[in-house]
Amino acid sequence: MELLEVKSLTKSFGKHVAVNDLSFSIEEGRCVALLGANGAGKTTTLEMLASLQKPTNGSISFLSVEKRDYREYIGYLPQYPVFFPWMNAIEYLVLMGELSGLSKSKAVARANELLELLGIADAKKRKIGGYSGGMKQRLGIAQALIHEPKLLMLDEPVSALDPVGRREILELMKLLKETTTILFSTHILHDAEEVCDDVIMIHKGELAVTASLSELRRKHQEDVIIISADENLDAWAGSIENWNIVSKVISTNNKIEIYVKNVAEARNLLLVEITEKKLPITKFTVGQTSLEDLFMEVVGR
Amino acid sequence: MKKWFVLHRKEWLEMTRNYKVIWIPLIFVLFGLMQPITSYYMPEILKNASNLPEGSVIEIPMPTSGEVLAQTLGQFNQMGILVLVLAFMGIVSSERKSGMLKAILVKPVRFSSYITAKWMSAVLLSVGAIFLGMLASWYYTVLLIGDYPFMNIVKGTSLYLIWIMFLLTFTVFLSTFLKSSGFVAAFTLLLSILLTLLTSLFEKYMEWSPAQLTNAAASLFISGKLEGPLMLPLITTVILTALILYLAATRKSSL
Ligand SMILES: Nc1ncnc2c1ncn2[C@@H]1O[C@H](COP(=O)(O)OP(=O)(O)OP(=O)(O)O)[C@@H](O)[C@H]1O
Ligand SMILES: [Mg+2]
Repeated sequence: MELLEVKSLTKSFGKHVAVNDLSFSIEEGRCVALLGANGAGKTTTLEMLASLQKPTNGSISFLSVEKRDYREYIGYLPQYPVFFPWMNAIEYLVLMGELSGLSKSKAVARANELLELLGIADAKKRKIGGYSGGMKQRLGIAQALIHEPKLLMLDEPVSALDPVGRREILELMKLLKETTTILFSTHILHDAEEVCDDVIMIHKGELAVTASLSELRRKHQEDVIIISADENLDAWAGSIENWNIVSKVISTNNKIEIYVKNVAEARNLLLVEITEKKLPITKFTVGQTSLEDLFMEVVGR
Repeated sequence: MKKWFVLHRKEWLEMTRNYKVIWIPLIFVLFGLMQPITSYYMPEILKNASNLPEGSVIEIPMPTSGEVLAQTLGQFNQMGILVLVLAFMGIVSSERKSGMLKAILVKPVRFSSYITAKWMSAVLLSVGAIFLGMLASWYYTVLLIGDYPFMNIVKGTSLYLIWIMFLLTFTVFLSTFLKSSGFVAAFTLLLSILLTLLTSLFEKYMEWSPAQLTNAAASLFISGKLEGPLMLPLITTVILTALILYLAATRKSSL
């Protein structure tokens, strides 16, 4: 079922058009990544979906109903979450819970549960003013989840976190997506690839690509063999460029990336070459390109 | 309605945590005390302060209780308003600036609940503080200068509080529209000074002015009865207050 449908959403600030004629929809139960470079319009889009900004044009319908106040069904984590610094985490979550329509006792129970889940239960009686950036990010996610929303919107949930924190939040998102529809923005494709089902890429406020991750993989992913060596193999790299099984060779320093059409065949041929020519290789990796390249293609230049 | 109380409770918690619930009433009580005490000791103070020749006698008529109380009101009308406006100038604008407004309004909360809950907390605290201040003034006036009927205090102060409510509402209103708290304070003080000044300069044309309520309260304190226009300023003030509050609470544009 379609949870959210956006039709030609547009937002301009004076002459500057931040979001331009954006249309997409989100199916219930999916985890959707909103991808785009800095300034692409991710935050503006999410804020419009969270009814924090009024669209200049276009429509948003939630569960097929247009122009309704659906705030009780969404949880929103802003890019830079803010809190009342003079409150402690429990007080803040209970406040947000009650404002979301929970009873006081339900809000308290839910707050404790979430603080436990996000790993900041130890600090729950401390003033939020003294929290670190990572702790604030977690508290921000907790307040978004307090009323068990149907749609969870996260604006760059992991950008502010250290590698361990990033890992934990990505794992948490994997857990949450079992029960909740998630829309999150990021400019890190790797994170998107790891948790999402669908991808919406925007560039300069316009829709660039919208597809499921598997579809994108099928269409845009290539097999690649990466060879590292002790010495510069540029000359040899040039020689294999015109093999008809090879589509592209990129040689940098002592590393060669060979994009191939048939991975099994290419691997055998290359291995034979390497033994024959006694190339001093240190590493031979067979893999697939990430979607980074697609991202660069959309965003780049 | 439940959410309104949740928001209202949050305001009181905040005013407790930043000690506004203590220092605002405290300032009014101090102002309230000062007037009767300085009136009482004024002759002594003057005697000590000036280098008059030995044996000269200073005769200053002791003001009546009513006059002292009216002076207290005058004090509240200058320093008191300054204190209240400074205390509440950021009531909305600071939360908009910090992004808290968005954090709250992303929850299913009506903007009007958010504004009126704040407004109510500011009004209640100010009303409490001014009553306490007048009470302190009355107590020391009775003690040092002469008896004064308590009911007049209640009546006069209530009248005066309507003018204060008008200014507070204007503060909240500007705070929802302006980015800078400084401008909120500046414009509210300007309005209060302008209205007071124009009202005393052009009495004929300013009968409707909310500032008349201060005059009405002062005359009630001094002579025990209401002199000058009352109904007209009362009605315009109430209507203006309601209108300003309505405009603040229904503001829709950018957060
Ligand atoms: N209030 C505003 N007034 C004017 N321009 C704005 C405003 N908000 C956003 N913009 C502009 O709209 C564009 C999109 O901004 P937005 O914050 O949505 O980008 P983003 O994709 O979230 O970027 P980032 O990855 O840096 O967070 C930018 O060019 C920005 O300058
Ligand atoms: Mg952003």
